[in-house]
Amino acid sequence: METELTKSTFSCKLGILSRPDGSAILSKDNTTVIAGIYGPIEVKLQKLLIDKASVECHYRPKSGLPGIEDRMHESIIRNTCEASLVASLHPRTAVLVAIQELQNSGQLISCAVNAVCLACLHAGIDMKFMFGAVTCFSNGVEMSLNPPAQTHIKAVFVFVFDSTEKRVIASHTKGIFTKEQFEEAVELCRSGSDQVFDYYKKVLTN
Amino acid sequence: MPVDHKRINGPEDTVPYSLYTKTNKQSLTEQYEEIRKTGQRTDSRAFSEHRKIFVRTGAVSQAKGSAYIELDNTKVIVSVFDPREIPNRPDYSLKGELYCEFKFAPFSCHKRRLHVQDAEEKQHSAIMKRALESTVCLHEFPNFQVDVYATVLENDGSCLSAAITAAGLALAHAGVPMYDIITSVTMGIQRDTFFVDPTVTEQNICLYPRPSESDTEHGIVVLSKLHTHDQVSQFYQFGNVSLDKLNESISILDETCRELVPIVQKYLVKHVVKNLQRNT
Amino acid sequence: MSDGYKTLHPVKYYREFLSQGIRPDGREFNTFRPILLNVGSINTADGSAIAKVGNTTVVCGIKAELCKPKPDAPDCGFVVPNLELPPLCSAKFRPGPPSDQAQVLTQLIAEIITNSNCIDLRDLCIVRDKLAWCLFVDFVCLDFDGAVVDAAVVSLLGALKTVKLPLVEYDPALESTQVFLEEKKPIKLHSMPVSTTFAVFEDKIILKDPTLEEETLCSGVFTIVLKDDELCCVHKPGGSPLAPEELVKCIDESKLRTPLISSLIATTLKS
Repeated sequence: METELTKSTFSCKLGILSRPDGSAILSKDNTTVIAGIYGPIEVKLQKLLIDKASVECHYRPKSGLPGIEDRMHESIIRNTCEASLVASLHPRTAVLVAIQELQNSGQLISCAVNAVCLACLHAGIDMKFMFGAVTCFSNGVEMSLNPPAQTHIKAVFVFVFDSTEKRVIASHTKGIFTKEQFEEAVELCRSGSDQVFDYYKKVLTN
Repeated sequence: MPVDHKRINGPEDTVPYSLYTKTNKQSLTEQYEEIRKTGQRTDSRAFSEHRKIFVRTGAVSQAKGSAYIELDNTKVIVSVFDPREIPNRPDYSLKGELYCEFKFAPFSCHKRRLHVQDAEEKQHSAIMKRALESTVCLHEFPNFQVDVYATVLENDGSCLSAAITAAGLALAHAGVPMYDIITSVTMGIQRDTFFVDPTVTEQNICLYPRPSESDTEHGIVVLSKLHTHDQVSQFYQFGNVSLDKLNESISILDETCRELVPIVQKYLVKHVVKNLQRNT
Repeated sequence: MSDGYKTLHPVKYYREFLSQGIRPDGREFNTFRPILLNVGSINTADGSAIAKVGNTTVVCGIKAELCKPKPDAPDCGFVVPNLELPPLCSAKFRPGPPSDQAQVLTQLIAEIITNSNCIDLRDLCIVRDKLAWCLFVDFVCLDFDGAVVDAAVVSLLGALKTVKLPLVEYDPALESTQVFLEEKKPIKLHSMPVSTTFAVFEDKIILKDPTLEEETLCSGVFTIVLKDDELCCVHKPGGSPLAPEELVKCIDESKLRTPLISSLIATTLKS
């Protein structure tokens, strides 16, 4: 079982965009995503919440217009941010999260979520905790944090954890798996998330 | 067809399988000839007989008022919502407005319907609006609009009139101030045959003049009536019908509309009794 | 009196109820709402079902059409699911193109269909590379009162069970197709996905099968889909963080629903 995320695969640069309040480009295993955060900004009347800031998320695929699969990514990222940001500090405002996919060779959701977290950290927006996403693959027998080279993949799990208690914020799965496999996958990703948070620290201290 | 980014799109060209069936079915003209010869409609109703109506109020718990209507196979559901400010309207209007939307469910017709509202649905929405406007006390809610949404779950003819009757019931169920009970009936005309409350096949028979006859009268008439005032709130006619026949058809429709009133009344009384019981 | 209190302080109202271990509609935290299923009521569709979970109502209608398979999958047919949340079903929705929520739900249902493998696309192929069935599976929500996915999945199963496809003969020499309406065959259902939705109230209390009110007041909603003893979807799009043990507990809870739904479908099809 591979429990080590090969660390060298992450590469990131903060503040590559000048207009947003915070931005990050993150790439892992040839999957590259740019995320930008604007906020708190003015809110559309329709989305105004009187007790907290509303989070908007715009996801742009490599080419063409966003389809319904991208809407699903948006909803995962938006709800994760809503859980993590201290939205009650800025009532009647909006936080805009913009994500541009540049390159996709798998693990897109986790890469996008991590890029958004780095962008939030760069923007200096108040957060209750950091969040980190880890993808895990199962071929029915074994679990692995890195995509298996040849074997047939039976299930893919994506989990987003918070940095304080390592609880599950978001989960998204593909394929069929048993309850035991699910538990195993959560544990594996949970330990894998340490490396993500360590990487955040490394990026921020440099 | 342009790709819809907000839905899952199927393969580019799909064809309904009914196109490839053996054509041992009678053509519409033949069916019409048979109906004329035997003097009987396919479901053995009399020509001036309306189908059995089933109505129920309160089908949608999230709406202020709702009604579900069934004319044998025709199934329509209507819901009405609380008045809300008219969107995108800078000036103040003394009268309220009705917003009507008529929609066929994708699986409701013989041929699959697309999700986007087409011309027929838009026309039906407009007719519904016209029919209902005169029965609602619009001055009671100035600058506000009441939304009325109708969805056809299965279309076996006369769905527009079913939607109007149900919408009247739903408006009353929602407690929207109204002048009167509204009922509506459709009629199909082909030469000298009048089909009251036509089914889909009968409607199709009436849509076009049947060939090899000099008499080309055909058409569809929809009439909505306010009961106590004895007034016509909406009249729609399609096709080519002589004045005499039209007069005759109106008097038949008038009579049928009256027959529907007790059914609607019964449901309203039920609703009032239930509410009174709850409050005491 | 209580109505006014509820409108003014909805969260407080709920908190007081839940602290007593009961929900405002009289259910306990882990009770399902009653489910009703009616199949085959829409004659214009090739298969149809209406499912009611509490007040939530979803109609599923399936229309089958013929088309050519894709070149990269010459032996596969198509299943095209779409969920509509029309303005009719709740005051939350406005006329126009599908809302974000409708799009996310459509995608979730599409994933449930592919993950659970309940329809084998190869069963839908008639002649390799020439002719295949395309099933348009349309869901229309008539009453939006929480846990729409659960109702949609039940209606999907009901509708799929009633689908009957006519026999099709294809002549490769003439490239002509003929359909025999007299000989109709049902399609094979390979598995039975069962979905259960949960809501998390104030990071602590987990409510099973939430109503719309509960979904809006809660800080997170997640859906677990089981296929017999296996899982085919654990979808938690953000919201309150949960410990993994709690998630696993919910998986066990949702297992209780499978026998209920399978017996419901069996009895509905019999009558």
